[in-house]
Amino acid sequence: MRTKLGWAVTVLGALCCVLGLALAVVLGPDSRFRTGPHEVDTDGTVVVTAPKVISWKGLQVEVLAELPVNKPVFVGIGNSVDVQNYVGDVERLEVTSFSTPWKVKTREVSGKEGLPGAPTALDWWIADSAGLGGASVSTRLPDQTVSAAIVAVGATNLTGLKVSFAYGIEGGFAKGIALVLVGAGGIWGGRLMRTYDADEDDAEDTGDESVDDGEVVEVEEIVYVYVDEDGVEHEISEEEAAALEAAEQHDEAEADPEPEPEPEPAPERPIATTGVLTAADIVAGAVPEEAVTYVYVDEDGVEHEISPEELEHFEPADDDEEDQS
Amino acid sequence: MRRRLLVVSLAVVALLLSACAVPGERDDLTLRKKAADAGEVDAIFDRYREVRDAAIDLLDPKPLSTVETGAVLAIDSGSFEVSQRLSTTQRGLSRGLVVTHVETPAFSKYPLWFLATAYDPSAKVNRVQIFERESAVDPWLLVDAPQTLPEATLPEIRHGAHGAALVVKPDDGAGMSMSPQDAANAYAEVLADPTSAASGGIEQDDFIRQMRKAAETNGSLKGVTFTQTWAAEDVRHVLRTDDGGALVFVTLLRQDTYDVDDGVTVTWPAGSPQQAFLASGISTSGKLRYYHQVLLYVPGGDKKPRALGQYGGVVGADGV
Repeated sequence: MRTKLGWAVTVLGALCCVLGLALAVVLGPDSRFRTGPHEVDTDGTVVVTAPKVISWKGLQVEVLAELPVNKPVFVGIGNSVDVQNYVGDVERLEVTSFSTPWKVKTREVSGKEGLPGAPTALDWWIADSAGLGGASVSTRLPDQTVSAAIVAVGATNLTGLKVSFAYGIEGGFAKGIALVLVGAGGIWGGRLMRTYDADEDDAEDTGDESVDDGEVVEVEEIVYVYVDEDGVEHEISEEEAAALEAAEQHDEAEADPEPEPEPEPAPERPIATTGVLTAADIVAGAVPEEAVTYVYVDEDGVEHEISPEELEHFEPADDDEEDQS
Repeated sequence: MRRRLLVVSLAVVALLLSACAVPGERDDLTLRKKAADAGEVDAIFDRYREVRDAAIDLLDPKPLSTVETGAVLAIDSGSFEVSQRLSTTQRGLSRGLVVTHVETPAFSKYPLWFLATAYDPSAKVNRVQIFERESAVDPWLLVDAPQTLPEATLPEIRHGAHGAALVVKPDDGAGMSMSPQDAANAYAEVLADPTSAASGGIEQDDFIRQMRKAAETNGSLKGVTFTQTWAAEDVRHVLRTDDGGALVFVTLLRQDTYDVDDGVTVTWPAGSPQQAFLASGISTSGKLRYYHQVLLYVPGGDKKPRALGQYGGVVGADGV
């Protein structure tokens, strides 16, 4: 189970890496595509996008409008309900279709000459800017239908208008790099999970069990080895070892059908009672298991060696008891 | 330990991914705008309080035209005129108004409007106000302001999928005993004539009783022929209530006409709005015009419409 999850995390991490890398490479350090300046052929006072031309949300867009000879110009992005009400009765150039990088379809719409009010006096623009010779706005498109408008301010018109457009993701380059790092982490984490799972499987195969508190009980591993005629060791399984052992026993049973005649036992030699072994005793193999010497200590503290027969005349004194007393 | 590490790693990834606002194409390209968000409502009310208080301080209704329009401006201007003529002050500054509830519909075109209920501690009433923006270049103006008692409960407003309050077309009577516009017309008809055919479809509420009583008093004056007419203006602001009914903002124009016999003069008590407009009284004939803004509730089902509150006053007079 964990192996599958590990693979899933690894694949997800790899995808994140690829996506992040693509994002960073495509957007570049400024996090956006740029196009323009493009000339817009109009002598009117308003250029506006139709309500459904801007269909994206969450995208960072930047519009720069430039006019020659420092003519005042206004650029704004607002909810289409507001923008349409503002320019709806005015003669204008309406952008009916737009696709990146710069493919524009427009139409001339007839109407009144002047706008009902100065664009700079309105409070509903999502983003707006005005300037002499040029103005630009930069904003993230909200989750609502919006229109962009370029308006000549005062008594001027938009003759000689040039528009530059940029779009991208705010902080996209940094996010791409972050995504690469997250992906790398995912790959590493997935590998860890798979390795961990493999270790657990091995432990289960060898009967290794985890106790409740998480400690692992070590069990001695038994390895069966078979040594061939040339002295070379071969590791074999427990079953093979059992089969081999049974075969050896069978061979031994077949090799000794009758017991060999055993030699007569040699007569026992007397063991020296003095406790001192002679060379003859050693050669004869008559080494006693332990020679015992009995000693009598007189009143003056002088030791006298005695025989076992004389021992009954004396009261025995044990060394251990003396130590304890 | 590794399990914890895994959980923490997944949480970090989830956080990072959620922090990235992923751009995408919008599925719904419908034209829609919520009339105003909370910040805009605050700004609109701040401006309204500021201008109204300035007008009260100056005892001059002119500044009010930048924050009010229509019948409510006429009523307030009439009230200021009465204060000027009687040399009295206007009651209560607007800075004490506390906005307690806002209902914001969404629109696909102008005009935009929203409802805001504000408690007025000086008058101890709730002002159920409608602010409207007629076009993209116009300011937000107060257009309706009926008042209810604090203990009066307004019906719950129904909301759409985007959390916006639902509006009802004035001529849409589905699920109700009559459409909002028909209810407004019937209500005006009953005010003008309690025995009219429409009286069976309208609840006889306190406002109707109070207006009828005043009309009967005026009509009982000896040597005076008194007539009173009521007319409902076009309904513009209607919200759908949770029970399938409608909360309707109705503006009614009332006109009191006095035809006085020779040798008789009609006068009003000192300090009254009528006396302020017609200081010397009416000795031949005269008219007093009033605006009343009524908050009408048309319940879902077959129940009769009834008024929940009103705000009105003298807006003009002429007579000799």
